[in-house]
Order: sequence, then C-alpha cells, then structure tokens
Amino acid sequence: MFKLDRKLVTIGMTLALSTTLAVAAASAAAPGVYKSKSGAIDGGVTYPRENGNYTAYKYNTQSTKGVSFGRPATANEIKAWDIDALPDGTGLPEGEGSVELGDELYEAQCAVCHGDFGGGGQGYPQLAGGNQDKDENGIVKTLKNQRLEPGMDAPKRTIGTYWPVATTLFTYIRDSMPYAHPKSLTNDEVYAITAYLLAQNEIEIDGEEMDDEYVLNKEKLVKVVLPNRNGFYPNIDGPNAQEDIRAFFADRAKNIGAGTRCMKDCKDPGMDGKTEAKVMKIGYEMKDVMPPYAYAKDLPPETEGGSISKAEKMYDASCKLCHATDTMGAPAVGDANTWETVMKKGMDTVLVNAIKGMGGMPPKGGNMDLSDDDIKEIVEFMINSSKKH
Amino acid sequence: MNRETEEKLTSVSRREFFKKTASVSAVAATSVLVPSTVFADDENIMHHVKWGTTLGDEVNKNPYGVPSLYEHNVVRRTSPLMSSAGDMHAAISMTPLHEQKGIITPNGLHFTRTHNGVAHVDPNKFRLMIHGLVEKPIVLTLEQLKRYPSESRILVLECPSNSAAEWKGPQFGTLQMVKGMMACAEWTGVRLKTILDELGLKPEAKWMLAEGSDGSEMSRTVPIEKVLDDAMIVWGQNGEALRPEQGYPVRLMLPGWEANLCVKWLKRLEFGDKPWYAKEETSKYTALTASGKAIQHFYANEVNSIITSPCPEVPWTDLEKGDLVEIEGLAWSGHGTIKGVDISFDGGKNWVEANLKGLVLPKAWTRFSYMYKYEGKPLLLQSRSYDDSDNVQPTVNQEKAVVGVEGVYHRNAIITWKVTDMGEVSNVQIRS
Ligand code: HEC
Ligand code: HEC
Repeated sequence: MFKLDRKLVTIGMTLALSTTLAVAAASAAAPGVYKSKSGAIDGGVTYPRENGNYTAYKYNTQSTKGVSFGRPATANEIKAWDIDALPDGTGLPEGEGSVELGDELYEAQCAVCHGDFGGGGQGYPQLAGGNQDKDENGIVKTLKNQRLEPGMDAPKRTIGTYWPVATTLFTYIRDSMPYAHPKSLTNDEVYAITAYLLAQNEIEIDGEEMDDEYVLNKEKLVKVVLPNRNGFYPNIDGPNAQEDIRAFFADRAKNIGAGTRCMKDCKDPGMDGKTEAKVMKIGYEMKDVMPPYAYAKDLPPETEGGSISKAEKMYDASCKLCHATDTMGAPAVGDANTWETVMKKGMDTVLVNAIKGMGGMPPKGGNMDLSDDDIKEIVEFMINSSKKH
Repeated sequence: MNRETEEKLTSVSRREFFKKTASVSAVAATSVLVPSTVFADDENIMHHVKWGTTLGDEVNKNPYGVPSLYEHNVVRRTSPLMSSAGDMHAAISMTPLHEQKGIITPNGLHFTRTHNGVAHVDPNKFRLMIHGLVEKPIVLTLEQLKRYPSESRILVLECPSNSAAEWKGPQFGTLQMVKGMMACAEWTGVRLKTILDELGLKPEAKWMLAEGSDGSEMSRTVPIEKVLDDAMIVWGQNGEALRPEQGYPVRLMLPGWEANLCVKWLKRLEFGDKPWYAKEETSKYTALTASGKAIQHFYANEVNSIITSPCPEVPWTDLEKGDLVEIEGLAWSGHGTIKGVDISFDGGKNWVEANLKGLVLPKAWTRFSYMYKYEGKPLLLQSRSYDDSDNVQPTVNQEKAVVGVEGVYHRNAIITWKVTDMGEVSNVQIRS
C-alpha cells in the first residue's frame, strides 16, 4: 500500500532511529508498523514488550522483581481516605438528614449557583427538572431530543432524567461541593442535601414520596432507583462486564461510528458523489475568547502600574469567583452604587459579615486560611476598586 | 539493518533527493528571473539592527527561561462557552495548534482542563495510597515513588470534549478553538504494573479507582486490563516536573485514553471488584446517542486528524498562483498507531495519500505532509487518518448516523477547511 515516497520517509526514520535508539536491526519492523495484538478492551491494539523493544521504544530488560518502596498503609490511614461508596451502598457512612434541613442548606450554600430548587438558570449545572417520562422501551423520552435544527429542544441531563445511581450524588456533594469550599459539609448535612435534591427530582423511595419530613440515611439511599438507571451501555456490571465492554468496542462501526477509506468518487451518506457537497458555514461565530485572538509578533503592551497588590491576589483567589459580577447576588466589585449601599452599615459591620458570612456569602469567602487582617485588606481593595471616578 | 542494504537505501533516497531538488530549483529559477529593480532595498539589510549594536541580556537574567517577548500572542485561549457561567475554575484552555511545531507541546501551552481550579500540591505533603484488593496496601511519598524505575513515552492527551462545540454545525472560527483541547508531550514515570507486581494484586481485582486530591476530588474507574498493560504514574513532562495544570506532582497516564481518565494531582488508587460510578463517568463523560441511551466507559480517543497549515489563523493569503506549498497537519489515534493520512481538496469526493513525517509512535501525534501547487482556486480541504487498529476517521455524516448530535464527547469527524480563491481559510462542515 505504501507509495515509494512513503517508503523513503519510513526508511529515513529507521535510519534515524538506528542511530538514536539503536533499534535491534534484524527484528525491527518499519517504524509506525509495530507488532500488535487486536482485541483490547477499548477496541484498539496492544503492543508486546519483547526483548527490550516496545514499539519504537527500548526498555531495560533486567528484572524489577523485588523493587519496592514506600511503607504499609496503616488501618487508620486507609479509613481516613477510603470513603468512596459503591452503588450497592458499600462505603456509605452512617448519618441522616431531612429534606427540610436539606432545603435550608441548599438555599444557603448551593442556590446561588444551581438556582432555586436546583432549577439552574445561573449558568451552572441544573440539578433538577426535565421530563422523566419514558417510552415503551423504558427510555427517557426527552433524552432522545436531537437538536438537528436551531430552536429544537435539548435533551435535559439532570439527576432525575440522566444520572444512573444516587450514591454518586452523596459522594460528589460531600467531596466536591460546595464549589468554593468543598469537604466542608458533615455527613448528616450531605444526607440532608441529597434528600432535598432527590425530592426536587420527584424521586420516590420504596414507593414513598419524599416530603419535607422525609429523613434520608444510608439504608434508604441504597434503595433509590433513578429513572435512567438503565440508560447506559455497554454493560459494566457483573462478572461479564469487561467482556461486554470488549465486545461493544470491537464493533466500532456499529456502535461508535467509523469511516471508510474510499479514494475516488466517494459517496458519503447524504452525499451522492455527483452533486456538489452541502457546505454548512458558521452561523454565528463564537469570537468571545480569552485572551482575545491576536497573532502579531510584536512586543506586548506595557502593563500599567506593574505587578498587582497582595490584596488583589487574595481577592482573585478567594472572592472574585462570586464578586466579579452580581449574578450570584454578591455586591459586584466596580459597582459604585451597590458598594455605597453596603458601606452604609459601617466598615465594622461589613467586616464582621465578611468574616462570619451572611446569606450566600460563606465565612471568609470559604477560605479559612485568610486571617481577619487579610479580609480587611481585601475588603478595602474591593471598596477602592468600586469607587465612583 | 545490515550495512549493505543501508547503503543501497541511502543511495535510493539520495537519487530521489536530487530529483526533487532539481524540480524545486527550477521553480526558484523562475523567481530569480524577475528583474531585481522592482524590489526596494530592505531597511533591515541596509542598516544595522538594534540588537546588533547593543549589549544583550546577561546569561542569567531569566534563570528559568521565557519565550521571546515577540511570541506573547502564542498562548492558550479559553471561551466562556466552555465553562459554567464563565467561571474559569471549572473550565478548559486550548493549545494554540496553529503555532505548534513538531509533535511536542511546550509545557506552558499544554491544554488544561480543571473541575475545581488548578491545585497547588506541596510535594512534601504529597502522599499516594495504593490499597483495596492488594495483599500489601502502601503509602508512598514523592521521593519514594520516584525511586521506581522510570520509562518515558511521547503521548497525546486529548479531552474527549475536543470539538464538542461542533456537533450541531461549525461554531468556532479558528484551529485553536476547534481542536485545541489536546497536546502531546514526553511523559516520564513508572509503569503501574512495576509497582503492582510487588503488592500482590488479588485475582478478584477487576477495576481500579483513581482519585485526585484537588477540590473536585476527581475520580474515575479504570478496568484492570489497561492498568496492567501500559498505564503509568508520571511525574515528568518534557524533561521537567509536571506543570501544576497537569497535576503536579503526579498524574495517572493511560496512553490513548480520554484525558479526564488520566487523573491529576493523584492521591489514591484503590483496587476493587466493581466499578464506582463516579460523577465524571455517569453525569459527565458519557456520550448520549440518538437512541436516548448513552455510551459509558468510553475509553479511547478515536482515530483523528486535522490540517494545521493552512488553517484560519495561518491562511494562504500571501501565496501566489504557482507557489509550491506544504499542507501540514497532525494525526493521532488512542487505539494505536497512525498508518496513513489522506487529503481531499473537494470536500471528500476524491482523496490523495499524504506522507507521514517525523516519528511515528503509538498514541502520539504524527505529522503528515503534502506538497501542493497553489492555484488560487477555492477548495474544501480535509484530512482523514487511519490506524493499525482498522479505524478510519469518519465523515460528519458517518459519525452522525451512529451517534447523533448530542453526544458531546468523542467527536472525531473529519474537519473541513474552506479555502477561498483569495486563500482565506474558514471552518465549515460537509453534512446533510
Ligand atoms: C460557586 C458556584 C457553586 C456553588 C455555590 C455550588 N456549586 Fe455545585 N457545581 C458548580 C460547578 C461549577 C459544577 C461543575 C463542576 C465541574 O465542571 O466538574 C457543579 C456541579 C455540581 C453537581 C454535579 C452536576 C452535574 O449534573 O454533573 C452537583 C450535584 C452539585 N454541583 C451540587 C452542589 C451542592 C449540593 C451545592 C451546595 C452544597 C453546590 N453544588 C454548590 C458550582 C457550584
Ligand atoms: C460563594 C460566593 C462568595 C464568595 C467566594 C465570596 N463572597 Fe462575599 N458575598 C457573597 C454574597 C452572595 C454576598 C451578599 C450577601 C447578602 O447580601 O446577603 C456577599 C457579600 C459580601 C460583602 C458585603 C457584606 C455586607 O455586609 O453587605 C463583603 C464585604 C464580602 N462579601 C467580602 C468577600 C470577601 C473578602 C471574599 C473573599 C475572601 C468574599 N466575599 C467571597 C458571595 C461570596
């Protein structure tokens, strides 16, 4: 299949390799054509490690048997870090929390980003909502939405319509949320917020609706069957899981799409090879990139005033996330009127609020490493940056 | 290779070389024929330049070197579209592929995706725990981990969302934003198998949980076959420590697999007999198809390619009819090694074979090249790669027919550059 010039390129490469890597001359195949075995779990090939050769790489053939560093992990260390949970509930901690408490916590710590009742709208992931109705094959109907034309409805991927298992919700909220200060919630609080979010998604547990008084715990969480539990393939559960995955990726043309190596008068589906190809242009170009597009090979513009202050750095790291704009209900830095109103309370009160937190404002912006003096410096910076010119 | 064949081959390539040089000089000769009087004398030649008449910087002005100031526009770029509410902590920043030379991405330009900001791990406090279904659960400090024998691999890392904005039609107007969620680097670390050989992996161990130490506690489930084949824990990136954006001090490396699986700021590996169903393998990183069901555990990035020159950022507007110019690009496959790349000038009806150039390595960027005589005619320029795992890159329609347009992840359809008669280049799609 190689044309002459292709061969020359590969030969050139062999020469290069033979000097740099000292490829064992007799056994090495042409570069780019390595001995391989098909049928890997991902649908691809695997390459053998043989006689010091692994594709184009050499490796040390001496035995690594007995190479061992580190020390045994203590039982307490494992207990401290091994807190993940499986869909069957293995690993879930004790604890409980009510929908009502979850509602309070959610309003205070999550709604600024995820919207009231989990409904989104702030640009952050929507956590509840979306139609869960299923078709005759048990597929959530709205997940079949395909936006083939502008204006068509998107498939909604929320906890209620898309997520397969509820244990994920518990571990994810505990480990990764709230966003600005993850790992700050107690297990009871996480059960409460999980309960609230399941309730917002109209999930029933054992046929029971989750009203305000409903108290979620480990045993009940394991019983949750989310509507889209069977919405994923290939199968990844049970003893056959990995063979099922292998079989799935073996048939890539059917399951994930594949091309064909046609060279002349090719017929693409939707293209007959005779009439002109249909060309779709960019309708509305997304040009909003940061930093803006620029290609000149010139000297950068001088930066005004040199490097930024310590206060601004701390602000950037811990406060800007919420205070850059007013979308989360925080007084936006630069908005003179809003800050004038805030400061009517007097600096002392405002500082206490910033240190202790208020409403959607977490204590010290969620960064407890900041000292009270740091907060003072930052707030002064925020005020100074929000003065009328 | 023995000496005799080596000589024979070199002489063939030399003959070929002279043939090519001859035709190139013929072209050069025609330009020499243009009377020199039409050109004004160049100031940069006629006068001394500033840097030739002054003392330069001291050798150690920048103990850690920085690029030429003139290259200040060669940077990663991001878009609010690729984040939540324009929040740049859970966002993605793209490699300037139009300025990418060869197959190694400089560390400062390597694309970056974070889910809770770039974590700054103190290497003295770093600990890696390996436990679960092993006889000997262990804890390693960074120094201890780096005591293991290392290997280096040149590997592409690609976010499975690369080109995700393009499912419903072309959206971005530049190569950087269309395909920049990827980079290729030389990664150095230890094969996971080398460590595991001594820990006594139990036969029931079918899956590995990889967990990061950052605020998002990124976690993913990996099947044992990959762990024991080519998985690595890496601490070196192009000859230095990993950049914080790439998971300093260590990340998991699963060659060819979606970059999200290559967990950064790694803290824990647990072996188990069931998959974990982490958020990033359920709610996200699953590809919803038109059937309403979604593909999960979608591991490898598929065979793919992109023409990097010309591209919207580097158009052909300076060319003159008759110029012989190189069409250049990148091809890669998470399933194996690139075998070849075809190029089409008419939007996929007819194809010619391009040449591969440079190193051809598994699961790495491979350069392709095609010499083209520019005629100032409008073109629909495409590249299509194929690999040693029987994969051929699909057209937009071929991919769409199987997965629809809402998959978000793992888009590898052929990209089309429309070249106008003026040599301007834009992103279009050939689709029904
Ligand atoms: C400052 C904004 C912010 C706040 C406050 C916040 N989150 Fe989030 N949340 C995010 C972002 C950003 C993501 C996506 C992260 C990523 O890209 O991985 C997210 C993701 C999630 C997800 C996964 C959504 C999905 O569909 O995959 C859940 C569940 C969630 N948050 C729950 C919570 C809960 C519960 C709280 C309150 C305790 C909370 N969040 C507070 C910003 C926030
Ligand atoms: C998670 C989002 C978030 C972060 C992070 C955050 N804030 Fe706030 N902040 C808010 C919100 C929301 C309010 C408005 C609260 C209200 O009016 O109920 C607020 C209000 C304030 C106020 C005005 C208080 C008052 O008395 O009206 C100050 C001062 C302030 N924040 C300082 C900071 C500082 C300093 C930081 C960083 C160390 C920070 N914030 C980080 C969300 C945030």
